[in-house]
Amino acid sequence: MLILLTGGSGCGKSSYAEALCSKLPAPRYYIAAMRPLGEEGLRKIAAHREMRRGKGFETIERYTDLSSLKLPGRGTALLECICNLTANEMFDEEGAFEDPVRRVLDGVEALSAQCSHLIVVTNDVGSDGFAYEEGTAAYIRALGKINGQLARRADHVYEMVCGIPLVRKGALLV
Amino acid sequence: MILVVGGQGAGKRTFARSLGYEDGEMADACLNDLPVIFHVERMVFACPENAEALYEALLTKKVVICNEVGSGVIPTDQEERLGREAVGRLCIRLAQQADAVVRMVCGIPSVIKGSLPETAEEECL
Repeated sequence: MLILLTGGSGCGKSSYAEALCSKLPAPRYYIAAMRPLGEEGLRKIAAHREMRRGKGFETIERYTDLSSLKLPGRGTALLECICNLTANEMFDEEGAFEDPVRRVLDGVEALSAQCSHLIVVTNDVGSDGFAYEEGTAAYIRALGKINGQLARRADHVYEMVCGIPLVRKGALLV
Repeated sequence: MILVVGGQGAGKRTFARSLGYEDGEMADACLNDLPVIFHVERMVFACPENAEALYEALLTKKVVICNEVGSGVIPTDQEERLGREAVGRLCIRLAQQADAVVRMVCGIPSVIKGSLPETAEEECL
């Protein structure tokens, strides 16, 4: 089962996703796509690790090429987040691959086949009124396409607002 | 307390008027005795470290109006980035305590938590 969680910064996506995972079958894997860079990034990672503590997650860091990831067991996986994964595929020295949309979607598909429940966190990057230079504009378009395809593929899609899940497709599980 | 969120120009204050509050009862990004406050996001951006004190004070309001600022490309400017997060986190905490949370889209209110007082519902219809 694939569950997609979207919403802006600080809307409670991570907390909700983790709470949801803890009610789904073990083993539980947390797949971190955010590279540990800079003080703020490290702080964020530390905060997320603290939030997951005691919830029985095994953390797997994976910044690009999700397709080749092999999970040690079959259970529940939380992938956080598509925005970082897409940015890594597009701008990272390890990334900069052709067709990031396909690579990210294939990666989610491959991961989904290995777990009973996959929760994927993404972000709503297209909702501001600014004009960006071509690199960022291409990123926004790629992420928009990915989000649309993931939502089509997902059994349940929730938009988080103020920590409240709004059902955009499917139903609430708990 | 009723928390009203939505994008800029989504109809949040119009909605507050439908609850029976007049413009003179709405404070623009400042803490005073008025029952309604709007542009809470500006207060957070101005001073993110005051979010805690702000939270306590906002709980005493009848209606708290805040712009949703977390969407769009994550800003490269650190202050802006942390400000957006702080606004989001404050709204999560306010929503937990609120009797009702209303999300405005194109002037249309959706009650996403709790329910509105009965008189307000009649006026909205």
